[in-house]
Amino acid sequence: MIQFLRFALVRAALAFFTLCFVSFIVFSLMELVPGDCAERYLAFKNSQGAMISVADIQAERVRLGLDKPYLQRWGTWIINAFQGKFGESCILRLDISQLLGQKIWLSVGLCLASLAVAYAIAIPVGIIAATSKNPYLNNSLRLVSYLGLALPNFLLALMIMLFSTVVFGDSLTGLFSKEFRDAPWSGARVWDFLSHAWLPVFILGWSATAFAIQTVRALMSDEIGKLYVTAAAARGVSGRRLLMRYPARHALTPIINSLGFDLNRIFNELPIVALILTLTEAGSLLIEALARSNDQQLAGAIIFFLTASIVGINFLTDMILALTDPRVRHSIMG
Amino acid sequence: MTRLLDVENLTLQFDTDEGRITAVENVSFDLEAGEVMGLVGESGSGKSVTAKALMKLNPGNAHYGENTKIDLHLEDGSVDIMSLKTNKEMEIVRGCAISMIFQEPMASFAPAITIGDQMVEQLLIHTDLNKKQARDLSIEMLDRVGISDAAHRFKQFAFELSGGMRQRAMISMALSTSPKQLIADEPTTALDVTIQAQVIDLMKDLVAEFGMGIIFITHDLGVVAQTCDKVAVMYLGRLIEQGPVREVIRNPKHPYTKGLLDALPRLDDLDAPLIPVPGDIPSPLERPAGCVFNNRCAVAIEGRCTVEVPKFTQVDATHSVACHFAAEALK
Repeated sequence: MIQFLRFALVRAALAFFTLCFVSFIVFSLMELVPGDCAERYLAFKNSQGAMISVADIQAERVRLGLDKPYLQRWGTWIINAFQGKFGESCILRLDISQLLGQKIWLSVGLCLASLAVAYAIAIPVGIIAATSKNPYLNNSLRLVSYLGLALPNFLLALMIMLFSTVVFGDSLTGLFSKEFRDAPWSGARVWDFLSHAWLPVFILGWSATAFAIQTVRALMSDEIGKLYVTAAAARGVSGRRLLMRYPARHALTPIINSLGFDLNRIFNELPIVALILTLTEAGSLLIEALARSNDQQLAGAIIFFLTASIVGINFLTDMILALTDPRVRHSIMG
Repeated sequence: MTRLLDVENLTLQFDTDEGRITAVENVSFDLEAGEVMGLVGESGSGKSVTAKALMKLNPGNAHYGENTKIDLHLEDGSVDIMSLKTNKEMEIVRGCAISMIFQEPMASFAPAITIGDQMVEQLLIHTDLNKKQARDLSIEMLDRVGISDAAHRFKQFAFELSGGMRQRAMISMALSTSPKQLIADEPTTALDVTIQAQVIDLMKDLVAEFGMGIIFITHDLGVVAQTCDKVAVMYLGRLIEQGPVREVIRNPKHPYTKGLLDALPRLDDLDAPLIPVPGDIPSPLERPAGCVFNNRCAVAIEGRCTVEVPKFTQVDATHSVACHFAAEALK
């Protein structure tokens, strides 16, 4: 138990350092964008008709602390970031943590839900596909998988929207109906959210499922061919017990490993899908911040959040592995 | 002695992408209780496939020949193994009447399940013991095969044991249900020579004690000479010579058996050159017509060995050989 805690602590520390390192890269990228927050805001003001002088920009720089050295500013940023303070958006002049608020949790929730759906489908289907000798089943699964891998998410989203608009007269966009958009959370709002969220979850989960089925199938086929399965069969173990206790149980370890990787993929796809479905969550805000208004502060905060959740899930899978696989457990406990 | 096993005309083919290949063809042998039979041959000669066929463990693309008969004679009647269809019906054979030990003890234990759990699982399937009794019996069996601190080992995983200890654990698991027939598929090949000797001694003791029949698969004729009562030599899916061990080793009749014996290193004459059997075992896709050994045989008779499949000729009452040349010489 003590060894496990030590292992967990070491992994947590590693995760923390990973996050710091990533934050440094994110921060540096934000710095590389030409111009800084002060210039950008005042340029924006200028375009609104206000008269701006160079002295104004300089004053704004001092106010935002942009005149301080690079590393010092990164230090301040990261310390604040871990406290959930990301400062103000460059353009909107609103507190970022307020601006993001629950949106970031909606995004993380959407991604995790997609991941959960993907694996809830992929694990049983992958196992069946690996054990079945039925060529029709295998070929149709392969077709579905390839479709999932080859069909870009945005195209799928557009096709569904088109179909729905033509047939039902509803484009299925957004995460909330109009009346619930800014309402406080209630049972009805949760229901409204769920009735909208299935589509992005489906679209995001679609390719993830296809990918995960291939992974599970390959891992299972690998395990089924191993000698210990034959040996168990030779001892009289058969049927579902043989399948679940031997190859399936042992394929689980690499499947858990692939979770973090798949979450990463889903995150990458989220902003585009969010933009098309006009979801009011952080993914679309990220596109907005990056593409439209060059809002480094806001983009940095969102990227930091997404990275943190990936680092988080990798930490979690490490812990699960250590608990489920005796080989990993023993390499920790000695 | 009582007859334990009758195998007649065992033929086994596999469907592959390249077509149907014959892995085992018309193999017949029998085994008495308490008898150890060595099944010898190069890799690819069909030894393991033959052994797995006795428990119908071959994969789904396997087809048994129509005349194949495998009868296992137990105290309460005979079991016609070929007539068993479902896994449930096979339970009486797999791990109960017949146990199998594999070449790689590391790979034959499931890595993430304790050795004890795997032993208990087998006992729960085949016996009326409850969990506690099964656990006690397993620990007792581990102790019997010379594993120290068995109660502790019971809770360990295969990767925590040394190679020799793993194979001992495998043997104790195989014997825990008191099978009538043990199949040992190269049980010592992956072990050090010193450990190999220990494991072989252990198996010999246990056979004497349990009175079961053993099929000992190996390519090591030295091990066969030491452990077995009789030996059957396989080449490319066919039996080519069988008989009592001493008789076959001292007086081999088939050119292939002679070749295998000549290829053994000799400790008493270190300068003697090793004489390998020329050529390689052909792929099952390119089985020669006639005698399957004809393309590597020094004495093959053109027009006869390449055309006609040799039948078994009795050298004496117990020793027989399938070779045209040997048959001619015996006349």
